[in-house]
Amino acid sequence: MNWDSAMQAQQDETRNMPDGSLEDAIGVLQRLRDVMRGQVIGRDDVIELVIIALIADGHVLLEDFPGSGKTTLAKALGDAIGDDREIEHFIAPFRRIQFTPDLLPSDVTGVPVFDSASNAFHFRHGPIFAHVVLADEINRTSPKVQAAMLEAMGEKQVTVDNVTYPLDELFFVIATQNPLDLVGTYPLPVPQLDRFLFKISMEHIDRKSELEVLETWQSRRDGARGDPAVTRDELLASRAAIDRGVAIAEVVKTTLVDISRRLRADERVLQGNSTRSLVLMLPALQAAAALRGRNFVSAEDIELLLPRVLGHRIELAPGVADLNRILHDNMREPMERLAGSTLD
Amino acid sequence: MTQLAEFQSADRQHLPAALARAAIIAGSYWLLSLSLTVATGSFAAVAGCIAACVLTGLPERENPLERLRTPVILIAAALLAITGMIAGSLITGSSPVASLFGPVAAFHLAEGVKWLCFSFALTGAVRVLAVRSSAGGIIEVLLVATGFVIILSAHRNGMINRPFFLGDFALSRGLDPATILLVLGCGAVLCLSALLLVEENRRRLPYHFALFGLLCLSLIGYVQTFGLPTPQMTDDLGLTGNSAQRRENPFHDGENNTENKQAPVAIVVFRDDYEPDGGAYYFRESAYSQWNGYMLDFTSLPDMDRDLIAAPGAPARETVSSEGRRLVSATIGTLVPHRSPFGLDAPIAFENAPNPNNLRFKRTWDAHSLVPEFDLNEMLGRPVGDPDWSAEVRQEYLRLPDDPRYGELAREIIGGLRPQYADDPFARAWAVKNYLDRNGIYSLANEHAYAEDPAASFLFGDLTGYCMHFAFASTYMLRSLGIPARVGIGYSVPAANRAGGSSLLIQAIHGHAWPEIYFEGYGWVIVDPAPQRTLVDMTTDPQNELQQLLGDMLRGEAAFEEFLQEQAGFTINWQLVLGALPALLAALVLAGYAVKIYRLWIPAAAGLAAQHRLSYRAALDRLAAVGVRRRFGESREAFAHRASATAPALETLTAWHLAHALGERPPSLDIEDWNAARRRISGEIRGNTGSGKRILAILNPFSWLRAK
Repeated sequence: MNWDSAMQAQQDETRNMPDGSLEDAIGVLQRLRDVMRGQVIGRDDVIELVIIALIADGHVLLEDFPGSGKTTLAKALGDAIGDDREIEHFIAPFRRIQFTPDLLPSDVTGVPVFDSASNAFHFRHGPIFAHVVLADEINRTSPKVQAAMLEAMGEKQVTVDNVTYPLDELFFVIATQNPLDLVGTYPLPVPQLDRFLFKISMEHIDRKSELEVLETWQSRRDGARGDPAVTRDELLASRAAIDRGVAIAEVVKTTLVDISRRLRADERVLQGNSTRSLVLMLPALQAAAALRGRNFVSAEDIELLLPRVLGHRIELAPGVADLNRILHDNMREPMERLAGSTLD
Repeated sequence: MTQLAEFQSADRQHLPAALARAAIIAGSYWLLSLSLTVATGSFAAVAGCIAACVLTGLPERENPLERLRTPVILIAAALLAITGMIAGSLITGSSPVASLFGPVAAFHLAEGVKWLCFSFALTGAVRVLAVRSSAGGIIEVLLVATGFVIILSAHRNGMINRPFFLGDFALSRGLDPATILLVLGCGAVLCLSALLLVEENRRRLPYHFALFGLLCLSLIGYVQTFGLPTPQMTDDLGLTGNSAQRRENPFHDGENNTENKQAPVAIVVFRDDYEPDGGAYYFRESAYSQWNGYMLDFTSLPDMDRDLIAAPGAPARETVSSEGRRLVSATIGTLVPHRSPFGLDAPIAFENAPNPNNLRFKRTWDAHSLVPEFDLNEMLGRPVGDPDWSAEVRQEYLRLPDDPRYGELAREIIGGLRPQYADDPFARAWAVKNYLDRNGIYSLANEHAYAEDPAASFLFGDLTGYCMHFAFASTYMLRSLGIPARVGIGYSVPAANRAGGSSLLIQAIHGHAWPEIYFEGYGWVIVDPAPQRTLVDMTTDPQNELQQLLGDMLRGEAAFEEFLQEQAGFTINWQLVLGALPALLAALVLAGYAVKIYRLWIPAAAGLAAQHRLSYRAALDRLAAVGVRRRFGESREAFAHRASATAPALETLTAWHLAHALGERPPSLDIEDWNAARRRISGEIRGNTGSGKRILAILNPFSWLRAK
C-alpha cells in the first residue's frame, strides 16, 4: 500500500462520509462527553478540552504530575471510540507509549520485519497506529524520537525506510510532561510545542470528586466495558458537520486578531503568537461552541480556549512569569468591544 | 478563566502618557521653585523630578523599586531629602568649597544638590504612592496644584500687579495683568485635567472629571455670587485694613517688614498741577492729638482737630486760612479699605466721586485741598495756636507724658539757638527737627513698642526707630516747649514718583506720620524730621505703568474703559444661569426618564427583526437599575451566569441574543417568545430584589447609562 493510493482511499472515504447534520454532531459530542465523565471523575474541564481538540483535529499536551488520571482519561477516550471497519485491524482504539531516554524511533513507528515465508520485508505497525495515543512523559526521550512523534502528529503519516505509511484520519495524541522533575529531560522547544493545539495544566481534583473516585473505583474497575459511545465514522462526520455548520462571525475574528496584536506589542512578551495559531484556533472554537450546543462561536469560547491555545506559543520576556495576567490585560478591551458589538 | 478574572488590574501605562505626566509634574516643580531658589535650583528640581518619573515609570521587570515595600520607599525618600538638605548646608558652610569655586558657585552647587535630592525624593515617593494606592493620585494632583497656587498667592490680596514678574511683564506690554493671571489659571486647569487624563484607571476617570468640573463651577459661582474676598492690607501705620476697629498700639516691633512695601494702596489723579516745595506730597488722613493717659490718640473732643473731615460730603468744621495756600483738587481711589478719606495737606472738602470700577477701587472721592505755597521761613516770628481755641483745647494740644526728660532735652536743644530766635516757636521747632535729623536713625527693626512710653524709649534710648517714633518724640518735645503740636498721619510720597504724569500711586511704604504745628493764620504746618541715617531702603519701584494704568482707570476715560466695555460684552448673566440651572437639571432628569421609558417600551412596539437587540437591551436596563451590571471585559454569557441569581431567564435571552448577533442560523422565535422572556425577566427581578432597591431602580433616571 503506497502513499498515493492510501491518500486516495482516505479522501474517497471522507467524501463518501454521510452528511451529518449539526444537531447529530452536537449529540455525538455530548454523548462522548457524558460517557467520559462517567469514567473520569472531577475532570470535566479537561474532558471538554480533549473532545474539542479531537474534533478540531489537534493534539493536547497535559502538564501534570503522576497519578493524576491522565491514563484513565486517555483510555476512556480510546474505549469510547469504536471502529466498525474490518480492514484496518492494525489500528487500535488506544495505545500508550512510555517515553524513555533509550527509546528508538522505530519503537514508536514500527519496523519492517523479514518474513521468511514470503521472502520479503513486511511492515510491523508500531504503537502509534491507534486512534488515541498517550505519549507519556514526552520530554524524557531523545529529540530524534520526539521528531518522529511530532512528524506523525503534524503530517498524520509515518516514514520508515523511505516508505510512508499513513495514519488514521482520526489520530489523536495526548502527550504528557511533568512540570517538575526536569533532570535528564529534553524540553520541547517552542516550535515543537506549536504542534499541540492545547497545553493544559491539570490541577488536583476537588475534595468531593476525590472522595467519589475512592468510592467508585471498584465498580469502575470491575464494571463490564460497555459498547463504545461513538464510532470513528460518527466523529469524522461530526467534524465535517461542525466545520460547515458553526458560524464564526466577523467580529469574533477581529477580536482574535486584536488580542494577538496587543500581545505582540506587549513589552512583557518576547515573542507573540503566530498567525497559524489563530488559524488552528478557529476549528477549536467551532468545536467548543458545538459542545455547548451552539451553532455560532461566542465570547465564552474565546475565554475558554484562548489561554490554552496561546499560552504555550508565547515566549515571555526574561523575568516575567505571570502569563495569565498578561493574557487578561490584553484580552479585556477586545473582549469588551466584542460584547459591545452585539448591541450595535 | 477564574484565574484570569482575578486580575482587576488597570491597563499598562504608555510612554506618551508617562512623558506628559513627567512634563506636568516637572513644570509644577519649576513654578514651585521659582520663588524659592535660584535658576540652578529650579533646573535641579526639574531634573530630579524627571529622573524620579523615569525610575518609577520603568517596566515592572526592570524596576528596582518593584521589590520594595511602600513604607521602605517612603522612608528612603525622606532620608534622601534630609541628606540633600544636609549636603546643601555643608557645601555652603564649608570654606574649602567656597575657596575652590568661589562663594557664588558654592551657593549654586548647594542649591542644586538640595533641590535635586528634594524633588527626586518627593516625586519618587508621590509616584510610588500614586501607582500603588488609589488615593496616592490625589497627592500628585495636589502637588501640581500647589505649584500654581504659590505663583498666584502673591496676588491674593487683590493686588492686580502681583506677582511682580507677571504684573510687570503684562504692564510693560500694555496688557491687563488679569489676563495673564486668567491664562495661568486656565493653564492650571488644563495641567490638572491632563494629569487626571493620564491616570491609568479609565473607569475612575469620568468621576474625577465630574468632580473637577463641579469644583471649577462652584468656584466661579462663588466668585460671581459673593465677589472676590476683600483685600486685607495693613501698612506700618495701621492706617488701613483692620484699623477701622479700635485703634491698636501704633508702635510695632518687627511687624513692619518691607516685604509688602510696594503694594499699591491708592491712586491719586491731580486735577490741578502741583509740585510740593519739600519734595514730597503729604496726604493727611487723620491725626493723633489728644493725650489719653498713655499716648496721643484720636481726639474725642468736638472742638479739637476741627480741620479733619470724617467722611466725604461731611461739612468742613473749620476753614483753613487760604493765606499762602492754593486750592488743588485731586481724585483719589483707594485699592484697600481705609478708615477715613484723605487728601493733600490740607484737605478742606471731600466729595464722593463715581467709582469707575468697583472691582478695583474700594472708594473714590474728589479731595479739595489748600496746599501750602508759602516758604517755611515765613513762619519765623509767627505766633502759634489759634486765639479762638478754648483754654481746654489749648491745654489738650500741650499735654505730654509726665516725663521731665522731654522738657530737659528740648531746652537743651534750643539752648544753642541764637538769642534773637531763642523765643521764636518756629526756630525752636526747627532746632528740634534738626536734632532728630542729625541724631536719629531710621529703622524698622526697633524694640520700643512694649515700653511704657515707646517715644521715650526711642528718644532717650538708641534713637533708632521709624516715623511714628520721630513724630511722637518731636511732638512731645514741642509741646514741652509750649508749642501746640500733634501727630499727623497719612501718606508721604516722593514728588519724583509722579514722573511728570498727572497720576500718583501711593504704595504701602508711603504710610507716614509726622509732627505738625499750628501757626496762627496758617493752620497746621508740617515740620517733618528727616533722619540722615537710615537702615532701611525706602526707595521703591514707582511702577509707572501701574500708576498710569490705575490713573487711567480712575479717570474712567482711557482705553481701559473700552477694554472693560469689551469685557462687558462677554460677561455672562449669572443670575440667569443660576436661575436656568435648576431648569436645566430638571430637563436633564426628564430627558433621562424619557430615554429610560423609551428603551423599556420600544421592544413591545418593534418588529421581530429588531427584537434580539431591543428586548435584550430592555432586560439589561432592568438589571442595571437594580445594580446588576456587566463588568468591563466580561462576556455576555459570564454576565448572564452571574446575573442568574437575580434573573435566571437572562441566560436564555442572552443565548437568543447572541445567536442573532453572532450566528448565521438563529433559532426561529416569534414575537410572543420575546415578550414572554421579557415579562419573565421583569418578574424574576421583582421576585429577587428588595422593594427599596426596586423603588430606587424606578426613580433613577440614568440607570440605563450603566447598561451595556
